[in-house]
This record gives sequence, structure tokens and C-alpha cells, in this order.
Amino acid sequence: MASTFAAVFEIVSFGAIIVLVVLGLGIIASMMGIFNFAQGEFVLLGAYVTYLAYAHGAPVWAGMVAAPFVVGAIGFVLEALIIRRFYAAPIVAMLGTYALGLIIRESVRGLIGGFYLTVPEPIGGSIDLGSVHISAWRFTIIVITLLVMGGCYLLLSRTSFGLRVRATLENPALARASGISTPLIYGATFAFGAALAGLAGALIVPVFSLFADLGIRFLIQGFVAVMVGGVGSFIGPVAGAGVIGTLSAALPWVMSPVVADVLVFVLAIAFIKFRPQGLIAGKGV
Amino acid sequence: MGGAREAVARIGEGPDVVTGEDAPAASAPAGRTSAGWKVLPIVEGLVLLIALVLPWILQDYLTVFATRVVILALFALSFDLVWGYAGIMSFGQALFFGAAGYGVALMARDLNVTSILLILPAGTLIGLTAALLLGGFLLLGRYPSSVIFVSLGTLTGSYAADRLARGWYYLGGQNGIPSIPPLTLGSYEFEEGPVYYYMVLGILVVTYLLCRFLVRSQFGLALAGLRENEQRIAFFGYKAQHLKAIIFAVGGTIAGLAGSLYAFHEGFVWPNMLGVVFSTQVVLYVLFGGSGTLIGAVIGTVIIEGVSFWLSDNYRDVWPIILGVLLLLVIMFRPLGLVSFVLGERERVGSFGKEPGKGPSKAPKKEVGNAAP
Repeated sequence: MASTFAAVFEIVSFGAIIVLVVLGLGIIASMMGIFNFAQGEFVLLGAYVTYLAYAHGAPVWAGMVAAPFVVGAIGFVLEALIIRRFYAAPIVAMLGTYALGLIIRESVRGLIGGFYLTVPEPIGGSIDLGSVHISAWRFTIIVITLLVMGGCYLLLSRTSFGLRVRATLENPALARASGISTPLIYGATFAFGAALAGLAGALIVPVFSLFADLGIRFLIQGFVAVMVGGVGSFIGPVAGAGVIGTLSAALPWVMSPVVADVLVFVLAIAFIKFRPQGLIAGKGV
Repeated sequence: MGGAREAVARIGEGPDVVTGEDAPAASAPAGRTSAGWKVLPIVEGLVLLIALVLPWILQDYLTVFATRVVILALFALSFDLVWGYAGIMSFGQALFFGAAGYGVALMARDLNVTSILLILPAGTLIGLTAALLLGGFLLLGRYPSSVIFVSLGTLTGSYAADRLARGWYYLGGQNGIPSIPPLTLGSYEFEEGPVYYYMVLGILVVTYLLCRFLVRSQFGLALAGLRENEQRIAFFGYKAQHLKAIIFAVGGTIAGLAGSLYAFHEGFVWPNMLGVVFSTQVVLYVLFGGSGTLIGAVIGTVIIEGVSFWLSDNYRDVWPIILGVLLLLVIMFRPLGLVSFVLGERERVGSFGKEPGKGPSKAPKKEVGNAAP
């Protein structure tokens, strides 16, 4: 019983991490139609900002609060300077963001060297539930993920900003005709997606430690999750991330990890092949 | 290294050379690519010439490096066919390269097969089979697949294969398969060096010519149409998906050939050969050199590998950043790659099938008026 509970916690907490990473990717992919190959590097930047704050003596949580804003600002600038040129062609956008990601990743690698740098958990220790001990920080990640998910949902579905974003997504020409500044909306959406990635990076850096290839690990998983969930809505990628994250954490408990690892991808691609619209089809929130 | 520097220099002075040669014949309206002079054969000839004399100029260890570059150029060619000509973004081209590499490495390790007459066909076959399976799955079917799906599908396939190779003890795990014996022909052993270099170069030239024939045939014309406007090609009655699957398989075949040569040249295979690292590397080569021209793939490989080798002593850390910046600049401002500096759009597109007025003299009149921009 106790071990089952521990396993479930393990699975849920990994699923939460994937959801957190995919949120930003999904918003950018769904709302802008761009598969952002630099998203993994935004995660890395978030982790790096947290590390910088910690290394300069600031408390870790302060770095975590700062990370989304810093990365969001970087995302906004990059969108205005570079990404904007790629909207017309999705494949070119992939290549362009890949190049961008390469630049960011290698710069960070140059800055930190080839090391694995650890950042302590701001909330250490464990929560005891009878005989079971679960990591307090991982639990916090689950809670924050749920809060962020709810917040994003409300932002997109209940606020006038969300309405503008959705209008721009559905029909850019009509949105422009209605007086919505679509370039600004695109910029804000991209910055928001980048900020979410920064937050994800900041939160997971105590778990995975900081190294230059931190982001890549999640990138392909994230893409697959977005495709499985269905591009075009907010819920779709989140659902996809939940499925992929849970599967990749759960399968190794019942079969050899190597097979499980590959099986998740094979299943996902096969699923997308036969249901291209994804788990949750349709536009909207 | 020397080759790379020469290549850079040549690209830089390309236009001058051409106009210089062009000037006497410029009775026709001024323009770099008037009917009489074509830049493409000159570029191709120059590259071939440099490649032929290279082992005499270079020291031995550089010849080994040059051999590696030639093999990678073969690999780049396979990606260029798929992306540059058919518009299929194969982000997992290394899957075929690495699968063939692993396959022939296993043949050498477990079956003691090293004869070139068996290894190269086997590697080619592995590449073909893998590409048919993956391409058939991703590209064929009731509904046409979206470009995004195909590119992410190939990327995922390559990534999954990488993970599988890393975790599978039989394939050597993280370390891969070391100490593959040299290729043999009868009792002769192909050691690294000039002989291996010329063998590989010969294979590259033959493959290049075959590809050139292919993309200039009616089939190539259909492919170009596919790349530009898939729907219209479908309306003409072509099976767009079948065309794509065929060219994808051809690309996989060439990648398999390159992979088996690479495995035996390096003497070991390791998981990166299958994975995202090599897959993205080949994308860089082709985008940089110029996709949609076969020679662009070769030039891109030579330049990127050459410069990276040249810089690797002093600027190893900075080079990937520079590479990223250059790539971004190329994508933003020179989407057709470096060769587009010397190659006009008209020549890049080229003519297809049999040229109608292929008489003794120059091309028909309509070409004359069509000066390069």
C-alpha cells in the first residue's frame, strides 16, 4: 500500500513537471501555430536565472520569482526581432527557432561549463503521511502546476486579454479590423509562453540540477505531448502532457525502462497518425 | 582544412570569376547567366577538382578528416533530396544513417563480415528498409500528413532510436560498438587514408551524378512541383504521397550507404549517430550550403566541417554559438543558402527531362532574354 502510494506520487509529480513544461509550448503552438524549438532553451534560461540568483546570494525563491519575468522579457524581444519573420512558414519557423535555441544553449554552456550545478530546494525536507515520505518540493511543484494551469485557463477564457488572443488566433484579419493590434498580441503570447517555460525551468532545477542539455530532454516529449493532445486549444496540449507524462513515468514500473521509453514515443506517433486532430479537437480555450 | 579555406575563398570570389569569364561573350544582354555560360557546372567541376587533388596537398591525418567530410557530404546529399527537392522536412535523417552504421557494425562484430561487396549493399538495404517503413508509416495513408507531423514524426523516430541504442546492452549502450575491423576486398584491407578517400569520393561522385539525373528527370519535375504546390500536383493526377514516399526511400538509401561507410571509416558507432545530434547536423549542412541544389549540400558540409575543424583548437566553445548565429542569418536573409551568391535562381531551378532544342549550339532564344536578377 505504502509503496503503491509512493509510486503514484512519483508518477503524478513527473506528470506535473511535463505539464508545466508543455504549457508554454502548447500555448505558443496552439495560439500562434509555431512549434518553438527554442522552448527547451527557455526552460534552461529559467533554470539558469534561478541558479544565478542563488549563486549571488539571493534566496532561491527570489530567483524563481524573477525567472519567468526575465525569460518572458527575453521572449518578447526575440519575438519582435526574429520570430516575427517566420510566421508565414511553419517549417522555417522550426529551423529558425532551432538556430535560436542552439545559440542560447551553447551560450549557457559556455557560461556554466560542462558541469552539473545544483540548486537547493527552497522548501526542503519531506511530508510524512503515516509510513510514507514524499518530497515536499515535488509536492509544491504539483500544487504550483495546478495553480498555473487554472490561472492560464482563466486568463484565456475569462479576461479581455484572453478574448483578444483567441480572436487573433481564429481570424487575424477580422481581429485587426476590430482594432486589436495583432502583432502586439502575438508578441505578448510568445512572451507569455516563454515566461511559462522560464517558470518551469526555475521550479525543476532543484530536482534535475542545472546542465546545458536540461531543456532538450523535455523538448521532444513536449512536442509529442502537444500533438497527442491536439493543436489549437489550450486544454488539448495540457491533456496530452498529462497522458505522456503519466505514461512515461508509469510504464517503467511494469516493464524495462528502455522499452518503456521507446514505447511511449511509438504509441504517441501511432496515435497521432490515426487521430491527427489529437485527443481534444477544435479551437477555443 | 585547406579545402574548406579554399572553398570559402572560392565562394567569395565566385561572382567576379563568372563575370570575368562572361564579359567577352556578353554580346547578348548583360547578365551573369546568359545562355552560353552556366555557373553550376563550373562550381561542380571546381569542387570535384579540389576534391581530387586534396590528398596530395594534405597531410595524412587531414586526409582522414577529409574522408569523413566526404562521407558526411554523401549523407547531406540524402537530406537535400528529401528536403530541398521534395519539401519533406526529415528531422530524423540520422536514423537511417545510424541504423545502417549499427547494422554493418553488428555484421562485422557478430558475423565477421567485412567484405565491401557485402557491407555496402547491406547498409544500403538497411537504410532503404528503415526509410520505407518509417516513410510509409508517416507519409502514406488515407489522409495526407501535415508537414509538421512528418517533421516531428521523423524527429521522434530518430530520438527514440537513440534512446533505444543507449539503453540496449546488445548494441553497446552509451559506448556503442567499438573497434570495427577495416573494410576488405578479397585480402585487401581499406585503411584510413588516400585509398579510402578515393573510394568514398568515387561513391560520392557516382551518387551525385545519379541524383543529378534523378532531379533533372520528369520525376524531379514532379518533385519540384510537389515542393512548390502539393495540391496542384495532386490535381494533375500525381499521387503526391507516393512520390514523397519514393524520394524519402531514396534519401534513406543514400543515408544508409553513407552510414555504413562512416561506421567502417571511424571504426566505431555510437548512439549520437542515430539521434538528434546527427539529424540536426545534416540539416545545418544543407541549409547553410543551399537546399535544392545538390552541390549546395556538398559545399555546406565542407564549409561547416572545415571551419569547425579549423576553429576546434582555439575556439571550440564559441564555434557552436557562431554556427547558430550564421544559421539564423542564413535562414533570415539567404534562405537559399550560400550557393545562391553565385547561382542564379534560373539555374537553381534548372531544366527538366530532355532539353527540346538540344542542338549543337546554344540554348533556345527564350533563355537569352531571361537575365538573372
